[in-house]
Amino acid sequence: MTEALIVRGLDKTFIKPAVTDLDLTVHAGELYALLGPNGAGKTTTLRMVAGLTKPDKGEIHIFGVDARADPAGAKAITAWAPDEAMVYDKLTPLEYLEFVAGLWNVEPKAAKARAEQLLSKLGLTGEARTRCEGFSRGMKQKVALAGALIHDPRLLILDEPLTGLDAAAARLVKDMLQERVDAGGTVILTTHILEVAERMADRIGIIAGGRLLAEGTLDALRSQAGEGQDGTLEDVFLQLTASDESAA
Amino acid sequence: MSLFAPGSIPWLLAHEMRIYWRNFRTGRAGKGARGLISLIVVATMLLGGGVLAALALHGHQIPITPVSISIAALGSAVVFTLMLSQTLSASSEALYDRGDLDLLFSSPIGPAKVLFVRSLGVAGGVITIFAVMVTPLLLPSVLYGHPGWIGLLGVLGSLALAATAVGLLLAMGLFALIGPRRTRTVAQVMAALVGAAFFLVSQTRTILGEQRSSSLFGEITRQAQEGRLKPPPIASLPLRAMLGEPLPLLALLAGAAALFALASLALGRRFSDAAAATQGKTAAKPTRESRASARRVFAAGPFLATLRKELLLIGRDAALLSQVLLRMLYLIPTALVLSRNAAQGTGAALAGGAGVLAFLAGQVAGSLAWITLSAEEAPDLLSVSPARIHTLRRAKLAAALIPVLAFLALPVAVLAWFAPIAAAWTVLGAILAAWSSGLINIWHQRPGKRSDFKRRGGASWMATVAEMLVSALLAGATGIAVAGFWAWALIPLGLAGLALLSLRRSDAQIARNLRTR
Repeated sequence: MTEALIVRGLDKTFIKPAVTDLDLTVHAGELYALLGPNGAGKTTTLRMVAGLTKPDKGEIHIFGVDARADPAGAKAITAWAPDEAMVYDKLTPLEYLEFVAGLWNVEPKAAKARAEQLLSKLGLTGEARTRCEGFSRGMKQKVALAGALIHDPRLLILDEPLTGLDAAAARLVKDMLQERVDAGGTVILTTHILEVAERMADRIGIIAGGRLLAEGTLDALRSQAGEGQDGTLEDVFLQLTASDESAA
Repeated sequence: MSLFAPGSIPWLLAHEMRIYWRNFRTGRAGKGARGLISLIVVATMLLGGGVLAALALHGHQIPITPVSISIAALGSAVVFTLMLSQTLSASSEALYDRGDLDLLFSSPIGPAKVLFVRSLGVAGGVITIFAVMVTPLLLPSVLYGHPGWIGLLGVLGSLALAATAVGLLLAMGLFALIGPRRTRTVAQVMAALVGAAFFLVSQTRTILGEQRSSSLFGEITRQAQEGRLKPPPIASLPLRAMLGEPLPLLALLAGAAALFALASLALGRRFSDAAAATQGKTAAKPTRESRASARRVFAAGPFLATLRKELLLIGRDAALLSQVLLRMLYLIPTALVLSRNAAQGTGAALAGGAGVLAFLAGQVAGSLAWITLSAEEAPDLLSVSPARIHTLRRAKLAAALIPVLAFLALPVAVLAWFAPIAAAWTVLGAILAAWSSGLINIWHQRPGKRSDFKRRGGASWMATVAEMLVSALLAGATGIAVAGFWAWALIPLGLAGLALLSLRRSDAQIARNLRTR
């Protein structure tokens, strides 16, 4: 099986250790949910994978590209969308997508067609030429998601992608992500909405205190946590993180 | 009932002052000992000037004559325009700056009361700025023979109240005339123009030319000497108030306070409606770009895409545009000097004008480069992209230089018509100064917010000083070359080169500075 992401021995310390000796493997074509309590190290891990934060130690390989040795090569096939949308208030969605496509060197004609397609899919065609300054948080999130998809990344990394979205928009985004995975794309996301991970993720990683506590399918996690087949992800999550806290 | 009963004007005012004080302390906290030392040095210098003035003026009384009345009235008018520039800008911003406005308007406190207190805050801010500058100069004279001159602070207070009222009326008038989407931009530009009015008046001699201005000033002096200069009685109020006459001072304060109270209390309801409309309108009918722009082909590659994005953002930034416009206004007298002296072949003034152009090019380019490089709104987006950092920097630098070249075009074209060689040196000097400022901003960039443009929030103190120094050296080189001593121009040019070499930073050092990448 091709691996989309291999992380080995990843370490990062700010004032105190944020991520410690983390190993992570994400298979190509799967939706991987990284869960953990606040301050567990999820965002730091994903920022290191996206090339935003320099690890102190460890290896990151994205589709075989060594992200530390060849960051531009790794970035070319990756997209990152944080919970705070990275959009410019004074640009329209179309102008924003033009800029992002330019950054990833997408051929202009193809980029324009793809931008229009994405905006239409996200229900933003009517706002394509309207500056983002008056947009709601959810609309900005959708514009940022379109930006993340404009270069058709092989690995899509999303930090809390459903924050600020209303029910309809959240459904739209979830459908788009599922569509992407069904078409062979790889998605890694963090979320505090455990139902989303439970329903959508092929595999789940649970992180706490900067260390990976458990990883696998929901069934595998249930058995690790000693939960029966009826155990929800919430039960599993609370069980695993609580036992980590008591061990600490 | 207590004076500070919740919901009362004093209670609301105390709340505003507490927030203002805490913001001030937070702002000062980062500046540390260096900021405090600069403050003490400036205050000491002003106080020293004040002591010298007190010694020189001891025993002298200012006569109340048509000339002194006219000077005091003109001075008051100048201070009023400077204050109006600030209050107009602050009043229009108050409509858009949400802060706690939604909370206050959703409370049972009446909008008139809220506006009254907020306007008092605007007036208080303006009074503070002028009082801080004037008090150390004035105090020694007040303590040493001229106690009545304390009236000057009263005059400043009344001017600030009147300027706040007029600023508020203008902002609301603009809002009614042109709507919420344009008011912010137009108000910023108007504030810049009003602020520059003083400068343009001070440049009358430059603008009109030596002969015409001499004849104008000569005529005024002649009228005064012949007793024909008769300012109306009301014009004597500022001077009499400044000298401490109680009735004129009370009249000015009462008039200004009445105007202020009338404007803020009468406009309270409109202000709350307008403030609500700024939010509603933006959401309901946001700015739309033309269909032509949508049909346009996408830019190819990171360089062109970044260049286009930066130029769009510069073009859509009202505050930034008004500041650049202001600097262009300062170029008018310089351009006139250049054209007049180029036509007459006058060397020294021509060289000076060319130097000023080069210096301004460096300064404007520095400001724009700070905006494009340090005030990037989505740095993470650039960091996760595969685009090379050098490509992005070049695009951002180009975006900062293009507007500079555009605003230099007119004065240089005029100069080229009369003195093509001087124009060539000027263009070279201006481009070098602009380029150098851009490089310094690349090497010493630190993340900041676009809204902090005026004070270049977060920019390093050394970079700002270095930028000014290099611009000045290159301006000197330009002036010397235009004067015909181009070999001597190599000295400041070499010094500028050395300064740039010492300021140069490696990519690793820049990244450390930014703490990203």
